[in-house]
Amino acid sequence: MTENQATALLPPGTSDVLPPDAAFEAAQLERIIKHFSTFGYERINPPLFEFEETLLSGLGKAISQDTFRLMDPLSQRMLALRSDMTPQLARIATSRLANQPRPLRLSYAGQVIRVRGSHARPERQFAQVGVELIGADLPNADAEVISMAVDGLTKLGIKEVSVDLTIPTLVPAYCASLNLNKDTTSLIRDALNKKDVAGIVSLSGRLGPEAAKTLSIMLNAVGPANSIMATLSNLQLDHVPDIERESLSAVIEAIRFVAPNLSLTVDASENRGFEYHSGVSYSFFAKNVRGELGRGGRYQTRAPNGSEEPSTGLTLFMDTVIKALPRPEIEPQAFHPVGQKTNDANKFRDQGWRVINGLSEVKDIEAEARRMKCTHLIRGSKIYKID
Amino acid sequence: MRARDSLVLALPKGRILKEVMPIVKGAGIEPEPAFYDPLARQLRFSTNTVGLDIIRVRSFDVATFVAFGAAHIGVAGNDVLMEFNYPDIYTPLDLDVGHCRLSVAGPREMIDTDDPAAWSSIRIATKYPGLTKRHFALRGVQAECIKLNGAIELAPNLGLCRRIVDLVSTGSTLEANGLIEIEKICDITSRLTINRTAWKTRPTEINGYLRDFRGGLK
Repeated sequence: MTENQATALLPPGTSDVLPPDAAFEAAQLERIIKHFSTFGYERINPPLFEFEETLLSGLGKAISQDTFRLMDPLSQRMLALRSDMTPQLARIATSRLANQPRPLRLSYAGQVIRVRGSHARPERQFAQVGVELIGADLPNADAEVISMAVDGLTKLGIKEVSVDLTIPTLVPAYCASLNLNKDTTSLIRDALNKKDVAGIVSLSGRLGPEAAKTLSIMLNAVGPANSIMATLSNLQLDHVPDIERESLSAVIEAIRFVAPNLSLTVDASENRGFEYHSGVSYSFFAKNVRGELGRGGRYQTRAPNGSEEPSTGLTLFMDTVIKALPRPEIEPQAFHPVGQKTNDANKFRDQGWRVINGLSEVKDIEAEARRMKCTHLIRGSKIYKID
Repeated sequence: MRARDSLVLALPKGRILKEVMPIVKGAGIEPEPAFYDPLARQLRFSTNTVGLDIIRVRSFDVATFVAFGAAHIGVAGNDVLMEFNYPDIYTPLDLDVGHCRLSVAGPREMIDTDDPAAWSSIRIATKYPGLTKRHFALRGVQAECIKLNGAIELAPNLGLCRRIVDLVSTGSTLEANGLIEIEKICDITSRLTINRTAWKTRPTEINGYLRDFRGGLK
């Protein structure tokens, strides 16, 4: 017995998804993809692994540390297993779909594998579902994907979805406008990532009181979009950081237009997890759900010839999405015992019933039906509910 | 009865609690009387504020409760925060209490003959293996840590290892055990910590408590 149990041990961060959860997850995934398709996002399906230098170049560089490698015995080259699908989509958009009209709307769903999970998401394998809108850096593009995703999550049954907007380029632009050296900038980055106010205070000697105050305000700029944008608008910023601030407020305005009731928060200094993003970015949350349901933002695709395309896209983490939903209800199913004059099982299946075939004679048919988790019993051409 | 979605404030047991309670009260938060009863078996306490409960846990556990969202707000020293380095904890307020420092120490007779530049790996007894490993890795030294939960100062004398990394406030414990502070790693104070998701999904409540705590500091 002990031996059998030990062989069931899986590596950390992996799990077997059992009935009814596996079917439920697949069904929800299809619903989201279908929802995306009603906006014209067409599904593509890249491979699980690629050559290391392809997968981890461009956008992929940022996820290099999360990515499994293995040696390809055929080509004798290093392969990388995808840990995020967005870089693959960006690659396809700039190569095989380079001649398609822009903006290009693509969707995808698939498993990704990571070297390590984080403490909040220990999973090392999970399903991503997402969209990319390639070749558009307009506030309307961000508003489209954000409101579409919130709509999709709400239709699945997730309550009180909120979107947290950030602009990971604001702080770097502000630091650049102060002409700080690399060392100080990275200490600021570090402190802001942890929203560690003491970290900023300890740097105030190097920064001067004015800059330290501005950074403290950015650090604390977390909350409902309207009040945070009001706080940010009071900051004196140079031209470049001001452009970043303006682009955030333009996106908020565009979202308000398509989804006036959406709960929007802003975090002015969030950067972690947005390593390849180059503009307004966002995370999806739901009240009382630990961790985020998904995230996305603006980025630049890079074609082999060096040309870039502004894009925006998002990924939903299916494992968290499923945890945010109520458990699937047990679906009715019927039992069809052997030894009946006619076989009407298929007739009921055609009507949408799930019918379990009895395979041998049993004494107590109802007990057998219940043992097989059936709620109904088929006798002849009739179906009735078992108590 | 408590509301199902009450916010939970995690406070550390022991020494720091005495220093933190005036700030908590200054923020207008008053726990139920059982909180002050050392014999109470209760672990979760209601407060005068509807929708806010307090839990009292070990200081290392405050960080863990907040990181996983089981508590939404907490008070923890930056020693604990640095040890775990949880990405989901924010520390927007320095409470300016619980002052001490985190230092490397060793036996007095070792210091004169030792050349830290020559180290490639060292063995260290500490409550903070994560932080210690990262600290020494930055200077190219592999720290092999022996995790202890207390009485760290005993380790060098009993031959467990020669160096320790521990909290120092006056230095008298080190001295009593024949140890000398070799290097300060960082200063320590208690911080108000906030869970990332909580701040983003309940910003108005969290920002309200942040304001109250800031007020409580003055």
